Amino acid sequence: MNTLNPYLPFSSKILEVIKHTEKEYTFRMEFKGEVKPGQFFEVSIPKYGEAPISVSGIGENFVDLTIRRVGRVTNEVFERYEGQSLLLRGPYGNGFDVDLYRDCEVVVVAGGTGVSPVRGVIQALSDMPDASDKYVVAGFRSPEDMLFRDDLKAWDSKLNLTLTVDGAPEGYQGNIGLVTKYIEGLPLKEPSKARAVVVGPPPMMKFTIIELKKKGFTDANITVSHERKMCCGLGKCGHCRVNDHYICLDGPVFSYEVAKDFVD
Amino acid sequence: MGYVLNKESFSDLVSALLKDYRIFAPVLKKGAGRFTDVDCVIYDEVKDASEIELEKKSDYASKEFLTPLSETLLYFTEEEVKEADLCEKKVLIFGRSCDLNGLKRLDQIYLDNGLAKDPFYKRRRDLIKPVLIGCGHSYDNCFCVSMDSNRFEEGYAFSVDLIDGEIHSNVLDKEFDSFFKAAAGAKELDVTPRFVTENEVKVEIPDEIPGRIITDDLWDEYTTRCINCGRCNFVCPTCTCYTMQDVFYSDNGRVGERRRVSASCMVDGYTDVAGGGQYRRKNGERMRFKVLHKISDFKKRFGYQMCVGCGRCDDICPEYISFSNIINKVNDAVKKEVNS
Amino acid sequence: MANLDVNVGKLKKNAFRYSKVRGETASRIRIPGGVIDSASMAKVVEIAEKYGTGVINITNRQGIEIPGIKLEDVDKVNAEVQEVIDALRINQPEKGKGYPSSGTRNVIACPGARLCPFGCYDTTAFAQKMENNIYPNDRHVKIAFTGCSNDCGKVRMADFGIIGMTEPQYNKDRCVACGACVDYCKRRSVGALQLVNGKVVRDTDKCIGCGVCVVYCPTRAWTRSREHYFRVVLLGRTGKKNPRLAEDFIKWADEESILKMVKNTYAYIEEYIDPNAVEHKEHIGYIVDRTGFEEFKKWIFEGVELGPKAEVNDRIYWGGKNYAKYGG
Repeated sequence: MNTLNPYLPFSSKILEVIKHTEKEYTFRMEFKGEVKPGQFFEVSIPKYGEAPISVSGIGENFVDLTIRRVGRVTNEVFERYEGQSLLLRGPYGNGFDVDLYRDCEVVVVAGGTGVSPVRGVIQALSDMPDASDKYVVAGFRSPEDMLFRDDLKAWDSKLNLTLTVDGAPEGYQGNIGLVTKYIEGLPLKEPSKARAVVVGPPPMMKFTIIELKKKGFTDANITVSHERKMCCGLGKCGHCRVNDHYICLDGPVFSYEVAKDFVD
Repeated sequence: MGYVLNKESFSDLVSALLKDYRIFAPVLKKGAGRFTDVDCVIYDEVKDASEIELEKKSDYASKEFLTPLSETLLYFTEEEVKEADLCEKKVLIFGRSCDLNGLKRLDQIYLDNGLAKDPFYKRRRDLIKPVLIGCGHSYDNCFCVSMDSNRFEEGYAFSVDLIDGEIHSNVLDKEFDSFFKAAAGAKELDVTPRFVTENEVKVEIPDEIPGRIITDDLWDEYTTRCINCGRCNFVCPTCTCYTMQDVFYSDNGRVGERRRVSASCMVDGYTDVAGGGQYRRKNGERMRFKVLHKISDFKKRFGYQMCVGCGRCDDICPEYISFSNIINKVNDAVKKEVNS
Repeated sequence: MANLDVNVGKLKKNAFRYSKVRGETASRIRIPGGVIDSASMAKVVEIAEKYGTGVINITNRQGIEIPGIKLEDVDKVNAEVQEVIDALRINQPEKGKGYPSSGTRNVIACPGARLCPFGCYDTTAFAQKMENNIYPNDRHVKIAFTGCSNDCGKVRMADFGIIGMTEPQYNKDRCVACGACVDYCKRRSVGALQLVNGKVVRDTDKCIGCGVCVVYCPTRAWTRSREHYFRVVLLGRTGKKNPRLAEDFIKWADEESILKMVKNTYAYIEEYIDPNAVEHKEHIGYIVDRTGFEEFKKWIFEGVELGPKAEVNDRIYWGGKNYAKYGG
């Protein structure tokens, strides 16, 4: 294969398939190159198409791709199992700079599949020697929609995790309510110097940022990750452009200072 | 070096060129318009000089060789991925100043936005040499002078100006002198390609477009007037967006292809993300997105205006929406904003 | 009123109406294809003011009637109307004598491709050609042209209804799968298009050749066929006995065959018309009801060579209300 052609995918072995819900699996893919949390790959299924999937975990010889079964391409991905391979292109985009979050209070707010792109960030936070000033608010639609259950348990023991669901059947023991509800109560010492990461559906991001700013966060200290239609990942196809930014090139991770002016 | 050729010698010239080059030029297609017995000028590969339409402004832009409306990129067999072949013969593309200025915009995106160069674009780009069609006059809806793209003075192989039945050519690329010298009846003469210096339609673009313009109500009327057909994008010499399409052949599902087709930011589906998310549902929002790209967002990123003022979007809009008029509306709205 | 002695049969044949107002008539101006130049229109106005009551009736079949003309002025009106007849190029054996017959009705047409975005051919030109092909004739024949399947010309009420068609030509290399044609075909027409593997597939059995896909295609992937095609519908009629809509006869017919078939129809009528028909006038449909459709087909197909695309409907069953048989 011509390595000069960025449209040609490479083959990657499926090391493991982790099932979260009926519709959401994590595919642990063999990968040895450089990659950061928040970057994405194009999963390329010949004859079916390509889908941008953000990196939800990184290991020495693998990347995790958490995939939601919502269309032609992802349906086809779900037909594959351990030992088989998938074609990938990437990684694309800028990703999160985890070092930024080392020596300060940090709040990560993630909603639904938005947890995938920040999973690597949360993992890094929880691995830090003292994670007592790291806060994570993770929200899912319902208890059944929860992703990364094992991780959530592990994180809970290392950092300050608030887990919530939008709605739940009667008798549910955990938090019920939108993520925005839990921001005001975070016991931050110096919110104006704290950093935040917000990833999730557009309305969730909008209202979370309003809450964060009420609490004293500066625009520059808020980081967001955007999801758009990223067809090529190379800045060519144009679908992901917002204002003068190409999400696939300049993002998907942006300082809110820049992203606040985004108008679709 | 300049030359004047009569019809026959131009025909000779084209025949000689066709031995070394494929020629893509505007061609008048009889009855190919939307309506019965209405013609359409579209770019196509020509096999004879008489096919080349030098008088009428083309309805569709010259970009179609470089960025075909539909192009197969990869073929898939069970185990193999194969790049589609492309004829390696060199290509001449006839275009007016607007079209040829448009090339720079296409290059900007496909070769110079992000680190990767688009190889499928580049292999076509590397084949082409532009041929300038001079403009003896401005056409309906042209506003190239306002967009500073009425001239294209460097980088063309040779020019062609049809004046009183004769072709006037200025040859910039020395490689082509021999072709002209060999064309029977070609007279050597100093030739300057004709450029338009004034258009009836003029636009004024504010240097800074404040963010508030995004929410201005000037866009609202297009929510109902625009039918989001995308013609304005498909005819635009500077629109580059595409969508990937994967298919498997119906007679053999194990074999298939990946192709890309031109996309329009006006047409439904452009922003659809997996799971049903969609941005810019209203046509007025899509119009704003398109217009501000052409006259502001592209410039913010690359330092010069995207729109070349060819007016083809106005020519073709079935709903009589005038893009140049929108630019002036934006300008008025910005002025009002500054003054208040 | 003078002692009027008028041959009413001749009067009617001369395209003047038998009026309920005693001593008066109305001059009937035929306007084949529904297009008249403004000078002729001015002449009509002049006649109406000079001989009529200053009133002009626009008829259902795109003609004009100038009412209130005194029967004694018929010759004068005939002389004056000559320039209108000339301008509209109406066949006429003798100048200055008005219209030579009125049985074969004005040939009508919707605006068609001269004006209408959906029109598949120049309806006016074809109507004028048809008029020239069959007029003058005393036989009661109604022919109507419409540009597309919208049938704004209401041709299904005529003996011969001609509906314009185009055969959509698809250039897959220009198709970007925007879906406009599929969507509009479904919403505006019959839903004959489908996106398969990113390209459009046309159900040729379903397609009615309306050209909606061509009108809405933003990239010229769909264009019109060079040839103009027609759907011929047969033997619709209004009236007291058995009013009914015309039924489909030929799909993808050509112009020449249509001209011939209509011309042939007159010989068939001469052969089979009821000799006792009131005023020697009988809708062709009633004749066909007697002779059978096969016989009619045999006559009209005489010397006709349909194109390779033509699809002929061999058996036709008309519906409609039959008051003569079942009462009203």
